[in-house]
Amino acid sequence: MSIQESIQLSYDGELAFIDFDLYGEKVNKLNTPIMMRLKEVLDEVRTSKARAVIFRSKKNKIFIAGADIDEIKSMNKREEFVKAVENGQAIINMIEDLPMPTIASIHGACMGGGCELVLACDYRIASEDSSTRIGLPETKLGIIPGFGGCVRLPRVVGVQAALEIILQGKTVVVAKALKMGLVDKCVHAGILEKETIKWAKEIVSKGGKKRKATYKPKSMVNSILESFVGRPVVFSKARETVLKSTHGHYPSPLKAVDVISKTYGMADRTEALRIEREAFADMALTDVSRSLIHVFYLTEMVKKQTGIAEGSTSTAKDVDHLGILGAGTMGGGIAYVAADKGVHVRMKDINNEALSRGFKHAYDLWAKLLKRRSINKFEFQQKIDLVTGGLDFAGFGQMDVVVEAIVEDMEIKKKVIGETAKHMRPDAIIATNTSSLSVTEMAKGHPHPAYFAGMHFFNPVHKMPLVEVIRGEQTSDETTATIFELSKRMGKMPVVVKDGPGFLVNRLLLPYMSEAAFLLNEGMSIEVVDEAYVKEFGMPMGPFALMDEVGLDVCIKVLKIFKKAFGARIEMAPCMEVLEKTGRLGRKNNKGFYLYDEKGNRGAVDQSIYSELGLKPATNPLTTKECIERGVFMMINECSLALLEDRIVETPHEVDLAMIMGTGFPPFRGGLLKYADSVGTEYIVDQLESYAVAKGARLKPHNPLRNMAKTKRTFYN
Amino acid sequence: MSGRDVVIVDGVRTPFAKSGGVLKSVHPADLGKTALKELIARTNLDVNLVEEVIMGNAGNPVDAVNVSRVVALGAGIPLKTSAYTVHRNCASAMESIASGYERIKSGTMDVVIAGGTESMSQMPLLMSSAFTKLFEKLGAAKTAGQRLGILGSLLKADVKQIIDMVTTAPLAETPYKPIIGVVKGLTDPFVGINMGQTAEILAKEFGLSREDQDAFALLSHQKAVKATKEGRLRPEIAPVFLPPSFSDVVNDDVGPRDGQSMEALAKLKPFFDRATGTITAGNSCPITDGAAAVLLMSREKAKALGYKPLATIRSYGFAGLEPERMGLGPAYSTPVALKRAGLSMKDIGLVELNEAFAAQVLSCLKAFDSDDFAQKRLGLNSKIGGVSPDIVNVNGGAIALGHPVGATGTRLVVTLMKEMHRRDVQFGLATLCIGGGQGGSMILEKEA
Repeated sequence: MSIQESIQLSYDGELAFIDFDLYGEKVNKLNTPIMMRLKEVLDEVRTSKARAVIFRSKKNKIFIAGADIDEIKSMNKREEFVKAVENGQAIINMIEDLPMPTIASIHGACMGGGCELVLACDYRIASEDSSTRIGLPETKLGIIPGFGGCVRLPRVVGVQAALEIILQGKTVVVAKALKMGLVDKCVHAGILEKETIKWAKEIVSKGGKKRKATYKPKSMVNSILESFVGRPVVFSKARETVLKSTHGHYPSPLKAVDVISKTYGMADRTEALRIEREAFADMALTDVSRSLIHVFYLTEMVKKQTGIAEGSTSTAKDVDHLGILGAGTMGGGIAYVAADKGVHVRMKDINNEALSRGFKHAYDLWAKLLKRRSINKFEFQQKIDLVTGGLDFAGFGQMDVVVEAIVEDMEIKKKVIGETAKHMRPDAIIATNTSSLSVTEMAKGHPHPAYFAGMHFFNPVHKMPLVEVIRGEQTSDETTATIFELSKRMGKMPVVVKDGPGFLVNRLLLPYMSEAAFLLNEGMSIEVVDEAYVKEFGMPMGPFALMDEVGLDVCIKVLKIFKKAFGARIEMAPCMEVLEKTGRLGRKNNKGFYLYDEKGNRGAVDQSIYSELGLKPATNPLTTKECIERGVFMMINECSLALLEDRIVETPHEVDLAMIMGTGFPPFRGGLLKYADSVGTEYIVDQLESYAVAKGARLKPHNPLRNMAKTKRTFYN
Repeated sequence: MSGRDVVIVDGVRTPFAKSGGVLKSVHPADLGKTALKELIARTNLDVNLVEEVIMGNAGNPVDAVNVSRVVALGAGIPLKTSAYTVHRNCASAMESIASGYERIKSGTMDVVIAGGTESMSQMPLLMSSAFTKLFEKLGAAKTAGQRLGILGSLLKADVKQIIDMVTTAPLAETPYKPIIGVVKGLTDPFVGINMGQTAEILAKEFGLSREDQDAFALLSHQKAVKATKEGRLRPEIAPVFLPPSFSDVVNDDVGPRDGQSMEALAKLKPFFDRATGTITAGNSCPITDGAAAVLLMSREKAKALGYKPLATIRSYGFAGLEPERMGLGPAYSTPVALKRAGLSMKDIGLVELNEAFAAQVLSCLKAFDSDDFAQKRLGLNSKIGGVSPDIVNVNGGAIALGHPVGATGTRLVVTLMKEMHRRDVQFGLATLCIGGGQGGSMILEKEA
């Protein structure tokens, strides 16, 4: 019965209505049973007396969200993929082949399979609602559109616009969809139903013609680019752009270009769809796709989490007013992400100059959005209005949460936290944005440590999605849940971590960055190492560039903290000892491993650094494989302790999410531990053993990792 | 009338800056928001409790016609809370407090934010009658030929405008020159004379010499400079951070001149009556940008919320007189307010009397102390009561600080209230003259 209800067919006069309402779910998705039901409905309507068919959704702000990822995940044989896609394509073809005109009435998300379904309709009308977004995000999951999207979208909107959507996995808002011809009309959500029916009747009264929307270039340049003369240029340019941004790590956008270039304008639909289907199967079988789907599930996991154990009776409190201590880069960034989502922000700093910088930081980011027309001038003003500041604790009595982002000094922080608490409601929360100090120790500065936690943002705050929510020993469930929820509201991905040196991400990153310094000592050049990590491994930047970003002084300071906490297994490369005395701080003072221009843009490696650190000119004696393995395996090695022994987080999922969202660890590898599992713990232990013999005891595999290797276990089971 | 007391929990204002100066690009709504946000922060106010926001404004910005609502929403007052703008010309921001007072006194409301905002820099230039007609015609034109003809007339009108700009006095009106909004606003629409000319009338009728007026103006600067240097005004000022760099922060009033002298003042020519006049730019207030706000509550509510209010509003009064003597307004409204408060002038320990013109303030002080004035003009038995100059505008007044028309009323109340605490004065009077021929007065009692 439930499947029957999921797609309902009804008639009103000469109109037929096909309503999607997936039973027991908040969203409409396409899977095999639903597609079979759709087939049933289409078979019935085809032979009915209806003179037009309208496709609608009964869900709130969702048309069809796309294919059911669970189903894709459950398949692993080529024949399975081919078969499933072939069936789907055939059913979408049935829509296209209905004898009467078809109209899609779109309100809410219309993605992937949903978008492919409406592309098979003759006419498309959409609501102006901000929830209405249409697009094909398949390449973000390492696959390509398989229900005819690669074939029909270019026909409707032209090759250039189709490539833009498909290669980047983009969705577009209604205004843009209308402009590019993806929809024919848009109206207010409140009258969508009425207008759809009116339009359908109009189409019927004019003879009920079928239609195949085809893109018509408006300018001469476009006519040339879209013609057989210009298209090869467009395709090769697209391939080039993809390669440049992905370093070849993501095959699906390239595959999509292949499919589109082969099938565009092809008269034989069966052949075109066969090409698309085979390509889809190729992509679905790749490790990259498996990894990206894994990452998709990680992000879905966070959406459902609350930050506290299931069964806890605590819930997150609403946060309308956020205080920020310290209007520096971090404080200003936090003010931006909070106010951007409608939270009232009050910054406090010790002088107007400092406050100015905080205001400017947020203002400039919104000014960019204004310039790009992502927001209009009224929205811009509203956002600016949400940020205020002062030199005293004025307003702190109304703050629900205060984030502390002042100087990294335990005693100063404790004092300021105690002082701040005096000006706040007793049930308000203070969170520290410390990156290296103990939250439990810092909590001693707060009169009620239950209301104290860590909320560790990553720099630059507006770009890095991760927030480490640090539970001190006495942090309450309610506090944890509130900070977790607040992070989500700010558009971030929170991961709850236990207190401990470097928490999770910095604890793993430090041995990795530190190992890079050893590579430098051994004669590797900065360029070769960084480039290997970026181009071969897929990191957004190499370890030296990363150290510059973090701040060289901070790296050294944290290294020392780690040495104190973890003893002998943390070693400092000789060149790091020298570095401390050079006054190079990285991007902060435009002097680091790299050169920076006056705007702070990173340029080439500063060649004078080798002699300054007492190093001979680089001879690059090591293979890039060794360079990468030593850095990445050091992270995995440290993670075996952090996860299994210290239980900083509870699951490998959290490690992978944190590393991807906090450091840009390549998503196509699925995260640090997914990557470790794909390489195998035995191999990692063997390699670390041999590196340890040749390069130093710090590389020795730790016991938890050794045990895993012995028993051939992976992190994920 | 209920026996409820209406208290002022706290008040704050932006720095005042001469028009065309540092605040010229700040929209009046943004000035108001600065004051409101700071007031809300300093009082740790739960904004959900606010029942009404009332702002005074005289210039009526065309892109924010109910500027109070714009200020309220931008300052974080919830959507559900209503807001309206009041206009009583120079006393708009005293009217806002009076309106809030009535709402609370009557028992209708418990928590009201009142204030005022004005950007005289941003008062518009208006199109003259000749150009208005041409643009109307252009809009109605149907054929290209008609349009071309009107464009030709426009070109001619442009030339005439340029000629008029060069050949006539700056403030002289012609059919072609743009109309300066702020000048129109400062011209009485009933009798047709400029505010400065009303001050000239008072100066002549009360026999005030140029020296007396300049001496008063000098003292205003000296007091304001001293108060600013000693940081006495800082507690009432919310700094303005100027976008886009935010590195320019306006913390203090811009008007007070440290080096002001009798010699410098004497050099200025009379502006409104070149031949026999005594009113100069130096002994008048400058046109100014600024905003102010106060938090009003019923005493019960303030107590329940744990606030320690600064003052109780004992009474207010507005009264009318001849538009051409508008500067005497305080002498008409003050006895009304005193009577409502059940007090006499002897009880008043501190006065903020707005300095539109030195001549007008000095006339008021004379009128307060005159039996003749009281009997003939007010129908009273005897004089209102003399006021010692030592207790008037002790931190300087509008001649130094400036007079953003729609914000001044609240500024007077805020400054008065804070100084009453510093001096431990029980009763204080805030009063001002109103263009169009009115006076406004408000009497405060210090809260312990």
